[in-house]
Amino acid sequence: MKITFYPANKSTSVEKGASILSAALSAGIPLNASCGGDGVCGKCRVILKKGEVFSKASSLLTEEEKNKGVYLACLTSVMSDAEVEIPSASGFPSKDDIYFEPEIRDETQGRPIAAESFIRKVYLEQGLIEELHKALADEKKVSGIPQILSKETTITLAVTKDKAEVIRTEPGDSRSRNYGFAFDIGTTTVCGRLVDLNSGKTACSGSSYNMQVSLGSDIITRIVFAGKGEGLRILHESICGTVNRIIRGLADRGGINLEDVSCIVCSGNTTMIHFLLNKDPSKIRKEPCLEPSGLPFFSKAGESGITIGSNGLLVCLPGVSGYLGGDAVSGVLSCAMYRENALCALVDIGTNGEIILGNRDFLVGCAASAGPAFEGSGLSCGMRAEDGAIESVSVNKNDLNVSYSVIGKGSPKGICGSGYISLLASMLDSGLIDKNGRIKAEGSRIRPGDAGKEFVICLKEETGADIFISEADIDNLKRSKAAIYSAAAILARHLDLNLADVSKFFVSGGFGSSLDIEKAVSIGLLPDVEKERFVFIGNSSLSGATRALLSSCEMCEARAIASRITYFDLSSDPEYMDEYGQALFFPHTDLSRFSGKSRHDKPKGEEQHGN
Amino acid sequence: MEIEEILEKWSGGVYSVSIGACAEDGGSRKNTVRIGGQKSLPLLFKEGDIPNRPVIAFEIWDIPPQDWPEGLVSSYGKAPEDPLIWAQMCVKDFGARLLCLRLQGAHPDCGDKSPEECARFVSSLLEKVSVPLIIIGSGDDAKDNLVMPACSEAAKSERCLLGCATQENYKTLAASALADGHSIIAESPIDINIAKQLNILISDMGFALDRIVINPTIGALGYGLEYAYSIMERGRIAALSGDKTLSSPFICFTGQESWKAKEAKGGDKQGVIWEIITASSLIQAGADILVMRHPEAAKRVFGHISVLFGGNNSDH
Repeated sequence: MKITFYPANKSTSVEKGASILSAALSAGIPLNASCGGDGVCGKCRVILKKGEVFSKASSLLTEEEKNKGVYLACLTSVMSDAEVEIPSASGFPSKDDIYFEPEIRDETQGRPIAAESFIRKVYLEQGLIEELHKALADEKKVSGIPQILSKETTITLAVTKDKAEVIRTEPGDSRSRNYGFAFDIGTTTVCGRLVDLNSGKTACSGSSYNMQVSLGSDIITRIVFAGKGEGLRILHESICGTVNRIIRGLADRGGINLEDVSCIVCSGNTTMIHFLLNKDPSKIRKEPCLEPSGLPFFSKAGESGITIGSNGLLVCLPGVSGYLGGDAVSGVLSCAMYRENALCALVDIGTNGEIILGNRDFLVGCAASAGPAFEGSGLSCGMRAEDGAIESVSVNKNDLNVSYSVIGKGSPKGICGSGYISLLASMLDSGLIDKNGRIKAEGSRIRPGDAGKEFVICLKEETGADIFISEADIDNLKRSKAAIYSAAAILARHLDLNLADVSKFFVSGGFGSSLDIEKAVSIGLLPDVEKERFVFIGNSSLSGATRALLSSCEMCEARAIASRITYFDLSSDPEYMDEYGQALFFPHTDLSRFSGKSRHDKPKGEEQHGN
Repeated sequence: MEIEEILEKWSGGVYSVSIGACAEDGGSRKNTVRIGGQKSLPLLFKEGDIPNRPVIAFEIWDIPPQDWPEGLVSSYGKAPEDPLIWAQMCVKDFGARLLCLRLQGAHPDCGDKSPEECARFVSSLLEKVSVPLIIIGSGDDAKDNLVMPACSEAAKSERCLLGCATQENYKTLAASALADGHSIIAESPIDINIAKQLNILISDMGFALDRIVINPTIGALGYGLEYAYSIMERGRIAALSGDKTLSSPFICFTGQESWKAKEAKGGDKQGVIWEIITASSLIQAGADILVMRHPEAAKRVFGHISVLFGGNNSDH
């Protein structure tokens, strides 16, 4: 059966009886289906333009919608060739293309990367094994050298502490072309970076939504999905598809041949790495999952379906536990808190947020399931931090008019995570919403909507796009920020520490180039301490992976960090729900914790409700 | 050897709230009722001042009660057929010093009385009785937002206690109560965080924290009583520890909950006992106002309060 999707105008062929959701996936179009296709979230609405389908009954569709030909993609099977239109609310913004960062951030934090990469190219003029040994300058056992080496040969080696392995031999001198990829495999977003291993410079960076979003927005739904029939294979293919798409995009943009890429270093949460390697993740949900055992550090990229140079290596940075993965380890590597004397905290704001507390003496971490809101997913007008995203908004107290700035200076298309943080802070400050997140003001920009009241930021007539925030969006953001803050607070409490004792907060997340720390504090996402203590470090998982790619020392450090971090399980902590409940308020139910220390213009002790 | 008595020292206290305004305060009530003000956990007199004892409010409706068991209604004879006579009976025959009027007749399913009708009823009730009033809506948010402002205005400067504000619907009620000089009941679903959040939201509108009474929502004996008990206890400990946003007195709708129990519906005597036990237990948890239904239960609980707190005022 041939199914064509609009407006993307993409076709795919599927067997009779396949669901529209799976057809969309095979056409490379992720649909919004936060329940993973169980027919309960009602987000995968599509409109049938042509063809015959069979649909299971659903109470989520109104009579009016049914008359218009609206179906839930997960409950509807195709019975003939069909044409299907995907309304914008059911798809993902710019789902199909890769967003290339216009500028390459310096992620080294002023810390130069020592030593060379574990991927090395050796040029042999006469093709002698002795030369090879000399080049390695020690007595390491070398395996896999072809019997006959031609006259002029470049050998690509993967060198680790106790051995070296030949990845590839090729005629001529190709030493100037030595590349690698660093990847952050997120639950919602996948980011990749093409790095020149000779110069250590990033050639280009790009990101895209993880195609798995149409199989469930959170990892638990996806693990459950993986356990059903062909679920694991579908999830594996979908993540590999996303990674390969970014790889191709980066190679094209960087103007390099994939054959010159010998390695890809991935960091991601434990579940994502399971899917990437096509391993069964079901153990993660079972108690106790202390160690993500059975995941190889090195493997052949080709065996997992990742397309780089022939025989290229896939490195997955090790995790700590089922819910604290290699992305957290990578973050610790990137901010170097494991070398600091003072107490530091790493707060990674993502769908699966992570908090790590510690210094050179100890490291303790926990995971916080925050949901995809700060990555711009699951909200009425959310999008990733890319061109067209509103990244900051301010609301005028008197007339509730708004001014905003857009990434790339073009016309606005949606709001990204940092835009939502700025918007919420401004709405609170201007009295537009109450501390519970209900819109209480009235005016021309406020209108009733399907999910509570809506506050309009851009009108269609003005900018071509209708951009607004609804009360349901605010609730969603409130739950996300509460998950992150309460995880940090309870982790500190269990260590008998106060968040105010932390001298450096490294804040990481896919917020584009900026995050207004003061505003993140004023909505209660981050603890209220002097703003000098915060450092925004961008995507720390990706920069940690880059470091590991560029330096074999740092790669060893990553393995050491993984074994040093102690995992603290929040889900089995009876106090967690209580702490979370208290944080479901702007900024927090306990106002004494947010008395405005992060703002300098406000003297201490000037609290409205002092305790 | 003498064993030293170890006493808890608290830094905070519960706000005291006055209900009803006499002539000198600009109202027309003959008495006022003062609640709260504790600086100690319930009944631990040695640890801190407990200036006011729990009070009982008789629950009356603006229409003859509909889902009350027969035995409960008949304890007032034929009076409930005319709510004004019913109210006077509570005061004269049973010594009520506080009435809690529920405007059930405004509910779209129970007569759908107009805001004007409700306001007229409140005015005539204020004429017929001279005790302070608690006025609560029908429970239908949309309708209450029309009815309560009218009734608030009709009772202006009588310093009533108006309810119930919830997290989803508090602005209209808070604005009316603020304008007309009343206090407000903030209702939360057996959840200490929401109770606190609602108090903050209401005080953000300019409402003084000492004019808020918390309805923590309770369950009757066998229907979650201990859950409500522990929530109230936690709230009170927070208040005594200095948390001003939880330092409001508690109002408990013990009659409403007790008479929902299937045991209470099974027999009048059992219902009376159910209400007595529920109310008495909640006194121990820190209840300041008990809204009760059966006069016999109210009498017994009043006797119990006299034993616990000393003295025996003949009025409730």
